[in-house]
Amino acid sequence: MAEGSSTPEPIQRLVESFHRLPGIGPKSAQRLAYHILRTTEQEASALAQAILDVKQRIRLCSQCMNITESDPCGYCRDERRDRSVVCVVEQPLDVLAIERSGGYRGLYHVLHGVLSPMDGIGPEHIHIRELVVRLQAGEIQEVIMATNPSLEGEATAMYVQRLIGPAGVKVTRLARGLPSGADLEYTDDVTLARALEGRQEV
Amino acid sequence: MTDRSRSYSTEGIVLRRRNIGEADSILTLFSLHEGKFDAVARGVRKAKSRMRGHLEPLTRVQVHVARGRSLDVFTQAETIEAHRALKADLERMNLALYCAELADRFTIDRVEQRPIYELLVDVFHALDGGASAQAARYFELHLLAITGYEAQLDACAICRQKLPEEETLISGPAGGLVCRVCRPAASSGRILSVRAIKVLRYGRTATIDQFDSLRLDDALEHELRAALGDLVRPVLDRELNTTRYMDALERADRIPALSANHVQSDQSNPVPPEP
Repeated sequence: MAEGSSTPEPIQRLVESFHRLPGIGPKSAQRLAYHILRTTEQEASALAQAILDVKQRIRLCSQCMNITESDPCGYCRDERRDRSVVCVVEQPLDVLAIERSGGYRGLYHVLHGVLSPMDGIGPEHIHIRELVVRLQAGEIQEVIMATNPSLEGEATAMYVQRLIGPAGVKVTRLARGLPSGADLEYTDDVTLARALEGRQEV
Repeated sequence: MTDRSRSYSTEGIVLRRRNIGEADSILTLFSLHEGKFDAVARGVRKAKSRMRGHLEPLTRVQVHVARGRSLDVFTQAETIEAHRALKADLERMNLALYCAELADRFTIDRVEQRPIYELLVDVFHALDGGASAQAARYFELHLLAITGYEAQLDACAICRQKLPEEETLISGPAGGLVCRVCRPAASSGRILSVRAIKVLRYGRTATIDQFDSLRLDDALEHELRAALGDLVRPVLDRELNTTRYMDALERADRIPALSANHVQSDQSNPVPPEP
């Protein structure tokens, strides 16, 4: 082995760490590592600290399972929110998406996953049991299933309905239909049929 | 079959999907002409994707595929059968996914397997039309036969002697029924009732609709599910994901759901899933 061909060990380590991140290939990992090498020490330690903070200070809200710095989280503590409705989502990012829509003022429940028969992911792998525990308090009247309109999302919604429907809690599902800017010609039959079912007076 | 033109069209059933990157998915398609293969669907997770709804698992779809350097790429997709009713029912969806995974495990890449494909299409069609778990039993029975693991149901699987009409041992490793004399030679198995044996024999020649219209009680259904499970298992090298999933569902069902002020405890155990 020629001496010049070996990269110093710390850089090697950084490259490998970046490479493990989603969507980062070997070339991007190298570029990022060499970019860090050129930044000031301040910037580098700020980045390192930010990563550590995320791991050390962020935890799950004991009620809604959303990520939070303080338990219970901001949504669960907010007295102005409607405590009789819970919107069930797959991931913390989905909470942000629904908040952005501005059309919802109730509480949330984050499952951190979906039932996935094809991958062997069952109810015990996601936070469904915590939802059932929350419902036992009796304050919640409606559960909105806002899982993705995919096979897995539907399976999860049907499962939750089967689990808590008999208890008299209303379980609803986000409407399915045409996204704005869509083309009827390319729409699949299932979506189109659902859109027709859910049509509304203009 | 596989000329090296730059693209091809085929129909198929989406068996599996796994997500990669921002918005792409890799789909496993079991196709009529090309056999089973993986290909990429670009941008299919974006709301505006034109192929999105057409490429959901369990959908029967007509696709156009461009050859890529490593993986091929879906360029067009249009639904043939969406199997909407099947996807709207948890039990039947699980049965279909179970059959899809079996088809995946029993086939190899890029080899045309028309009989298995047609069997899967029939089973999905039946499940979509309201068929019971018997459709999955029919699939197992015929899948074994097509792939060369046909269960020996007429004579002893070990000594080939004719069998008397009585309760008989069925053994997965032996590949079928085993007579009293050979029983010690069979490494494992379970005793099958005369009724169950008759149903299995009937299933070999019946159509799926005929087989599904048999009225079987729970005990018999359970017996058939266990026996066919025993026959399928030795062929697979590891447990199916869908089986693990359905076992997990069953375990979760045993936990009383909402007992507090809402529900009577006998209601908290809904229909047990399959199989």
